[in-house]
Amino acid sequence: MTEKKTEFKIFTISQYEKEAAYLRKMHQSGWKIIAIKFPGFYTFEACEPEDVIYQLDYNREGAANKEEYVQMFADCGWCYLFDFVDYSYFSKPAAAFQGTEEKSIFCDDASRLDMMKRIALGRLLPLFVIFACIVLPQFWMQLSDLSRHPVLGMTYIALFVLYCVIFLVYGIRYYTFKKKIGK
Amino acid sequence: MDAHIKKVYVPMTETGFYILLCLRQPSHGYGIVQQVRKMTNEEIVLAPGTMYGSLSKMEKDGLIRCIAEEEKRKIYQITDLGTEVLELELKRIERLYQNAREALS
Repeated sequence: MTEKKTEFKIFTISQYEKEAAYLRKMHQSGWKIIAIKFPGFYTFEACEPEDVIYQLDYNREGAANKEEYVQMFADCGWCYLFDFVDYSYFSKPAAAFQGTEEKSIFCDDASRLDMMKRIALGRLLPLFVIFACIVLPQFWMQLSDLSRHPVLGMTYIALFVLYCVIFLVYGIRYYTFKKKIGK
Repeated sequence: MDAHIKKVYVPMTETGFYILLCLRQPSHGYGIVQQVRKMTNEEIVLAPGTMYGSLSKMEKDGLIRCIAEEEKRKIYQITDLGTEVLELELKRIERLYQNAREALS
């Protein structure tokens, strides 16, 4: 039986490129990703070490039209692995790229920015609704009377800070990238 | 043509331009990738994430339309609006080229 192992690793909403690089590094050292069962839990299978490029796409329209979406990638030499929380995972051996071909599922920055926009709408907007409807009002309520429920109060303060950090980090990343590509 | 289309597509990305150029004849996404490779001597290799995003965006905006489906591949063709956008972009590139030529001669 093939040897398997699970590693725990956290990537934030904006770190999908780092996640792809991590999967590449694992494959280079002889561990091929086979599944992600829970956020942060990566299951690998022992394999021959190989330089394989991994990429994540976030395209719900593609996910809704799975067959033609996957076919487009397959035609270009990308193997579809699985979906996890709306992200689609693809891989292609580094040796299969030809000439000047970029080792990416995107060939221009405009489409990279489009993906960031799709993530903002699909991932951050729902988070923002939770933030505006639950975290923010609770934060104010608990803050005004912290001595009554100190644990609950601290939890909401922590949540408030966490949400602010998530929005801020993503916002900064989005606007620096937008500025960099001159859009 | 409304202002939104003009703002989004003029000027347009190289990928967008080649998609419209190729879709004067019906083709699917990978067909466009192959045509562009040939036209540019393998210098431009369009990537599937970019292609899928551009094709669905252009279809939604009415620049191209799906006319058939063959073996899980959508066949697209340019619309009148798409042709109009392509011509507008072509004029912009021509002016760019002419101005550069004159300046450098």
